[in-house]
Amino acid sequence: MNVAIFEEKEFLGGQLIKQTHKFFGSKDESAGIRGIYIAKNLINEIEKTENIDLYLNSMVMGYYEDGVITALVNNKMEKFIPKKVIIATGAFEKSIPFENDDLPGVFGAGAVQTLMNVYGILPGKDVLMIGSGNIGLIVSYQLAQARANVKGIVEISDHIGGYLVHASKVRRLGIPIYTQHTIVKALGKNKVEGAIIENIQTHEKKEISCDVICLATGLMPLSDILNQINCEMKYIPELGGFVPIRDENLKTTVENVFVAGDVAGIEEATAAMLEGELTGLYAAYEITGKFDKRINTIKERLKDLRKTSSKVVNGLKKLNLYEDFIVEPHESLGDLHKTGIPEEEKIENLLSSKKERFAILECFQKIPCNPCVSSCPTNAIKMDGLNEIPKLDYDKCIGCGNCVAVCPGLAIFVIDKKKESVILPYEFYPLPEKGEFVEILDREGNLLERNQVLSIRKMKDKTNLIEVKVSKENLKHSRHIRVVR
Amino acid sequence: MDDEKIIVCRCEDITLKEIRDLIKEGFTTVEEIKRVSRAGMGPCQGKTCGPIIAREISRITGKPIEEVYKPHNRPPFGGIFFKEIVGETDEK
Amino acid sequence: MKNRAAVVIIGGGINGVSIAYNLAKAGVKDVIVLEKKFLAYGATGRCGAGVRQQWGTKQNCILSRESVKIFENIKDELKVDIDIEFKQKGYLLLAFTEKEWNQFHKNVQLQNSLGINSKLLSPQEAKEIVPFLNTEKLLGAAYYEKDGHANPFLTTLAYAKAAEKLGVKIYKGVEVFDIHVKEGKIKGVYTNHGYIATEKIVNAAGGWSQEIGKMVGVDLPVYSERHEILATEPVNEILGPMVMSFSYNIYCQQTPHGSFVMGYGPKETSKSMRSTWQFLETMAKKVTYLLPPTKNLRVVRQWAGYYNISPDRQPIVSSCNEVEGFYMAIGFSGHGFMLAPAVGVIMKDIILGNKLTWDVVLDIGRFERNEIIKEPSVV
Repeated sequence: MNVAIFEEKEFLGGQLIKQTHKFFGSKDESAGIRGIYIAKNLINEIEKTENIDLYLNSMVMGYYEDGVITALVNNKMEKFIPKKVIIATGAFEKSIPFENDDLPGVFGAGAVQTLMNVYGILPGKDVLMIGSGNIGLIVSYQLAQARANVKGIVEISDHIGGYLVHASKVRRLGIPIYTQHTIVKALGKNKVEGAIIENIQTHEKKEISCDVICLATGLMPLSDILNQINCEMKYIPELGGFVPIRDENLKTTVENVFVAGDVAGIEEATAAMLEGELTGLYAAYEITGKFDKRINTIKERLKDLRKTSSKVVNGLKKLNLYEDFIVEPHESLGDLHKTGIPEEEKIENLLSSKKERFAILECFQKIPCNPCVSSCPTNAIKMDGLNEIPKLDYDKCIGCGNCVAVCPGLAIFVIDKKKESVILPYEFYPLPEKGEFVEILDREGNLLERNQVLSIRKMKDKTNLIEVKVSKENLKHSRHIRVVR
Repeated sequence: MDDEKIIVCRCEDITLKEIRDLIKEGFTTVEEIKRVSRAGMGPCQGKTCGPIIAREISRITGKPIEEVYKPHNRPPFGGIFFKEIVGETDEK
Repeated sequence: MKNRAAVVIIGGGINGVSIAYNLAKAGVKDVIVLEKKFLAYGATGRCGAGVRQQWGTKQNCILSRESVKIFENIKDELKVDIDIEFKQKGYLLLAFTEKEWNQFHKNVQLQNSLGINSKLLSPQEAKEIVPFLNTEKLLGAAYYEKDGHANPFLTTLAYAKAAEKLGVKIYKGVEVFDIHVKEGKIKGVYTNHGYIATEKIVNAAGGWSQEIGKMVGVDLPVYSERHEILATEPVNEILGPMVMSFSYNIYCQQTPHGSFVMGYGPKETSKSMRSTWQFLETMAKKVTYLLPPTKNLRVVRQWAGYYNISPDRQPIVSSCNEVEGFYMAIGFSGHGFMLAPAVGVIMKDIILGNKLTWDVVLDIGRFERNEIIKEPSVV
C-alpha cells in the first residue's frame, strides 16, 4: 500500500520535536523517553519505509467534493486522489484577550517553544507565563533550563491545570504559581515591559515586570480540513472545542476520512501516537480486508491510558464512545493542587522508614506513568496499574538511584541519613564539579544552605544525578541545587 | 479593562469594543460578525478570533457556544500564490 | 415573532431588505422580512459586488442607472451612518472578438441614449487606465467611470437598519417551509417559528426562489447555478476599475480594503454550494494572463454561491397571475446586488398598485408575450 505524508513544515515530527521533557505513560508507549527522541525514532522508521512518500514543505490547500486533495509541492499546487485520508493536523493555540495584547513580546507558548527548542533562540529574558496546564508548566521549566527568568505562572482557576509533578519541578526553581489570577493588561509602549495581573476574587492587582508574556491558555483541534469537507462536528469543551464525530476506529462522518491525535480532541501525546497507529491499521484494513489484531490491543491500551483522564473520557462519552467506561474519581490532594508542593504529612510518611538509605517517591497524583517500576533492580517499586501511585518496599530498596534518573516527573529522590546526603535529578547546565559548594534549595526554591557536591552521575538520557551533602535537618527539604560561580 | 485596547482579530485589527458593539446591535453569530467587521477574514481565517468572539457572544446573549459559532473553513488553507497554482515560480 | 403582517418578504438578501425599506418608506405598516440564516447569507454576501451601468438592454441600463444614483447618495437616502464602501473607479469591459466589439458599439450607443456616458477605448487607452493590463489580442474596451463596486454586507446592513427604523421587523434564523394559499389567495406562511398570517408575500429568496414558488404551486421560469469566486490577501491599491471580459469570461476588482475579488462564469452548472479546485486553477490562469502582476498575490479564500438565472438574464420583478398576493423579485442572473436599490422601488410600486417609477418591463408575463430581449453582456 502506498502512503503519502503531507507536512507543512520542512521537517517531520510536529510538536514532538520541541518536547525536550520525558514522556509519561506506559513503558510500551515510550514513557520516560524525551519527546525529541521519540520523534527521532519515528522519523527513522518512516525514512526506512520505502512505500511512504514524504511531501515536506507541502501544505494541504484544500479537500474538495470530488475527492481531490490539493497540496503545495515544490511551490506548485498539485492534486491527489487518495483512497483513505487520515487527518492528523493537531491543535491550534487558544488566545485570551487583554489590554495591549498586540504588543510585540506577547507570544503563544508554541512559538516560544519553537524559537527556543528548534531554532535555539530565547524570546526574552523575563517571562510571565499565562496558564498552568502541562504546556505552561513544561515551557516554564524549559525556559528556566535555557536561563530565562520565569517571573511566575498565572492560572485563572483555583488549582493547577497540569500534572502536579510538573508543577513541583517549576516550584523548586523558585517560580511562583498565581492561582485564581488572570492577566488584564500588558504594559509597555512599543514592546512588552511588564504585565498587570489580577486576583479574580479580590480584584487585587499586581504588576510584574517582564519582556515576554507567554500564553499557554489551552489548545483547540485544528480542524480546518474537517470543517471544509462538512464533517459533522460537535462542541465538546472537555476535548478542546469542536471535534469531529467519529466511531471507535476514528472514522468520521465523511466517507474514507479518519482522524487521529489532537485534531480529534486535545489529549496527551501518548494517546495521539496510539490513535495514529489505530487509524493507520484500520484504514489499511478497510483497503485490504485483512484485519490486524493489533487494532484491538491498541484500543485496550488507549482505555488503560485514559483511566484517570476524567475530562477526556467525559468528552468521549458525549460522542457516544466509552459509554460503559468508568473513570476513577479524582482524589483530593489538598493544597498540592494549589501550590504544587506536597503537604508536610505526606512527606513525613515517606520518611518514616528506619532504613539509612532509600528512595523518596514524591508522586501523589494518579497519572498514567510507570517507568520507575521496571527501572528498579530489586523490584522494590510496585504499581497495581498504570494509573496507580507507585509503592516502595523500603526493605527491598537499596537507594541505587535508578528510579531517580528515569522518573519523567523528576519526583524521586534518594536520601542517605547516615551519609547525610541527597541524590537529586538535575537537568541544568553547567553541571557542578565534584567537591564544589552549591546552593541547596527547598521545594519552593528557597535557599536552605550551601554544601558540597559528593558525586555526579552523568546519565545517557541527560537527567543527571547529583549527590549533595546536606545537613541533617535539611535532608527532607532539599530538592534542587543551584550552581553559583 | 479598556476594551478599545484589546485586539481580538489580529489579522484585521478588530478590537473587543467593536465586537461588543456589534453584538449589542444584534449580530449574534460569529459568521455575521465576520461579514460586517472583517474579523476572521485575514490570513488566519478566524482561528484565533473565532473562539474569542464566540465566547463573548455567548457571555452577552446567554446562548451556548454551539449556537453562535460553527467553524466553517473555505479553501485554500493558509493562502497560496497564483503563481503557485499556475506553476510559474520564477520571477521574470 | 409577530404572527400577522401586511407583507411578508422571504429572503434577507439585498433585494429583500431594499423592498422592505421602500414599502415602509411608502407608509406600509407591518412589513416582515424572514431570513433562514442571516442577512446576506446567500447570493448577496457571496457576490462579486460590482455595480455597473454598461448593459446591453434598456431595462438593465435603467435599473442600474437609477440604482447608482441611490448608491451615490445612500446616506441621504437611508439616513443611517454606514459606509457602504462604494468605490466609483469605473468598469473596464474588454473586447477580444469582433462580435463582442460590435456589441460594445451598440451597447455604448444604447447607454448614451439613456444618460449613461460610457465610451469606447482603444487598447492603448485601456492600458492608461490599467497599466499592467495584457492587451494582447485586445480589440478595444468600453469604460464608464461612474461604475464601480460596494460592500454587499454593509449595503444590506444599511438597508436593513433603515427599514427597521421605519418599523420593519427582520427575523433571522426563520425558515419558511410552506405557504398557505386558499382559493388562489395568499393566507399566510408556515415557519420553523410558527405561522404568520398575511395576504401578501414577496419571494426574494434568490437561489432558493424556485422552492418558494413551488410552495404556492407555481413553476417559476428560473434556475439556480453555482458560480465561484475568490479573494486574495489585501495589498495597496493598484487596480482602479472592475476589469471584465465576456468572451474571456472573467471579472476582477480590488476592494477598498485591498483584497482582490474575482470570478468567472462556469461551463457546467451545479447545485452544490462547495467550491472546486478546477475554479481555482482556471481562475489563476485567467487572471495571471490578463493582469500579470496578480501572480504574486495570495489567494486566501474561495467560495461559491448561486446565480438565480432567468430566461432573458434580466430580473423578474412581478406579481403573479395564478396566486393573488404573491409577488416575486427573482432571476437576477448574477446582478441582483447592483440593481437592488431600484428593484426595491419597482416592487413597492407593484404592491401598492402605483405606476412604475421608471419605464421598465420586468413582469413575468413578458415571457408569454414573447417580449424577450436577452441581455448579451453577462459573465
